[in-house]
Amino acid sequence: MSSIEAVTVPKWGMTMTEGKITQWMVGEGGHVTRGQEILEIETTKVTNVVEAAATGTLRRIVLGEGTTAPVGALAGVIADAAATSEEIDAFIASYADRLGAGEEGEGGASAPRTIAVDGGVINVLEAGPESDETAVLLHGFGGDLSTWLFNQSALAENMRVVAVDLPGHGASSPIAGEDVFPKIVAAVDAAVEAVAPGRIHLVAHSFGGAVAAAIAAKRSSRVGSLTLIAPIGLSKQMSRDFLVDFVAVERRRPLLGVLERLFADPSKITSDMVEGTLRFKRLEGVPEALSAIADTIADDNGQLQSIAGQLRELTCPVTLLWGERDEIVPLPQAADLPENVRLRVIPAVGHMPQMEASSAANEAILENIQRG
Amino acid sequence: MAQKSFRQALNEALHFEMGRDPRVIMMGEDLTGGAGANGVKDAWGGPFGVTRGLLDAFGPERIRDTPISEAAFIGAAAGAALTGLRPIAEIMFVDFAGVCLDQIMNQAAKFRYMFGGRAKTPLVVRATYGAGSRSGSQHTQALYPIFTHIPGLKVVIPSTPYDAKGLLLQAIRDDDPVIFLEHKMLYDTVGEVPDGAYTIPFGEARVARDGKDVLIVAIGRMVQVAEEAARKLAAEGISACIIDPRTTSPLDEDTLLEFTETIGRVVIVDEANPRCGVAADISALLADKCFDALKAPIKLVTAPHSPVPYAPNLEDAYIPSADAVVKAATSIIKR
Repeated sequence: MSSIEAVTVPKWGMTMTEGKITQWMVGEGGHVTRGQEILEIETTKVTNVVEAAATGTLRRIVLGEGTTAPVGALAGVIADAAATSEEIDAFIASYADRLGAGEEGEGGASAPRTIAVDGGVINVLEAGPESDETAVLLHGFGGDLSTWLFNQSALAENMRVVAVDLPGHGASSPIAGEDVFPKIVAAVDAAVEAVAPGRIHLVAHSFGGAVAAAIAAKRSSRVGSLTLIAPIGLSKQMSRDFLVDFVAVERRRPLLGVLERLFADPSKITSDMVEGTLRFKRLEGVPEALSAIADTIADDNGQLQSIAGQLRELTCPVTLLWGERDEIVPLPQAADLPENVRLRVIPAVGHMPQMEASSAANEAILENIQRG
Repeated sequence: MAQKSFRQALNEALHFEMGRDPRVIMMGEDLTGGAGANGVKDAWGGPFGVTRGLLDAFGPERIRDTPISEAAFIGAAAGAALTGLRPIAEIMFVDFAGVCLDQIMNQAAKFRYMFGGRAKTPLVVRATYGAGSRSGSQHTQALYPIFTHIPGLKVVIPSTPYDAKGLLLQAIRDDDPVIFLEHKMLYDTVGEVPDGAYTIPFGEARVARDGKDVLIVAIGRMVQVAEEAARKLAAEGISACIIDPRTTSPLDEDTLLEFTETIGRVVIVDEANPRCGVAADISALLADKCFDALKAPIKLVTAPHSPVPYAPNLEDAYIPSADAVVKAATSIIKR
């Protein structure tokens, strides 16, 4: 009995409708092992790799390098030696029909919606089946819900996953006046109450980590788990330069230089990602709003938030994921971490492990959610 | 995010800035009237529908219909800019700049320089340009090389609805005279445009597509042609990068040089006539500054050195095509 497996253009994020094949890391006829990186695909946001779903031989490359194809399209075929060329041809022929008859709107983008809260709106993007428990994703400073491009769909296979634009980011209203941080927490908490009234699993990155910790402390009875990716608030260490530069730069080349500090491998940043960030920063009011948030994160002496006390009080599982080569929020000393917290260090990635090592990050997030 | 047409994006920018700044006024032919409208005010929203609703919102004092007299109203706008207003003057077809070139070239462009830097001329001259609309030789030229040649003018040629809004807001807020050129065939193109206000700095090219085998430089409507060519090249396994300079003056030389250094093969697409055109200008820059990085000759795809023909088939043949870009790119890849 021969086994034939499809390699398809994956759906990374709710808004992804197509991807461009930038590189095959294995040639036709090459042996692949399950989990091996075999194909590099570029989306409008970033370039990422596809892992082999099965062990076997890459018998056929259907989409050549440079081709752009819709989500779900057949990119290649992995099969064992028992599969004949005729069987593979038939598989490829049948695949075109299968894509057409697939889930309604699978390749289409789902739309975010806004939730009214005190002082403005919070923009959220929902995915996954209805479930009693909801995972809530909070991005970091200067990001938006598309930070979870490579994560939301993967996490949403078995549960509802809601990605949130923090106030002053994406399509959420900025915070006016004083007390910026508590107001951000209150606005996000209100939005989460509205979209996820049941048990929640909080997953947050960087600055979002401090927001998530504050919400977890307030709603501890219904927080099932907390996964923080390179959160602020666990040491004083941090260069304020990143925050200041991110707000200040107005042009493509300097912004690329700032964004490169986030990644261990800066070649993954696409021009669309840079232009997208510029589009956000060009909007009137955004630099001021970002500056006010930056002032809550760090001053010249280092970080201003502290979440260790809040984490220590939590009874739910708490996991920290950290890129080994994080240059924005450096990995804290183990001695500085609360005892009830597990730390997983992901090698060879920077401040964005959810993008740079999405498979490892997704696996760690799901594992922590299952513990809760 | 909201999908809006190029025309709507421009209209939003005009509405926003006139609401924000009472010094902004508009002058031009048929801004509020319209031939054949029997006196109905704002019947067509201007000759191309860009100024729709402005008369209602801001009144005839600020939205001023002019006689067919470019020399008079461009001169008046330059003087108004010099004395404290921020006028936007509309030349229906850029071809008509012929009758008011003195006001633009010898007056507005020179004020800051000749008055020792003590004069500001925050004037925007909006005009349509470009072939494809069956409008004949005197209504279809791509005359931006003429303005690009003149120091003291800034020249803006948006290619997308998003850029149209952000560049027009920047143009109105700029303290120097800006020639803002809108391709007639782009008015109905649609793209994401934020509801809020934003500006795009001049001299900042856009990387419209990432690619590693060949660099295609294109402006205005030619960005669409370059994108179609890039899709065709991709099908042949050739990965094309596209750069849209957005403004020809100032020109983002740094971005053009950076990508030429990396890619080494360049095709420049320009709807203007070839002699002393923008394609020739950029080509000279690249050959001068990064000759050693070039792996093949720079290829120029331009209109021929002829007036724009009126016969539809000839007009279509006149406009640089995606196939011509593909051919040029392929010729330097296969070397």
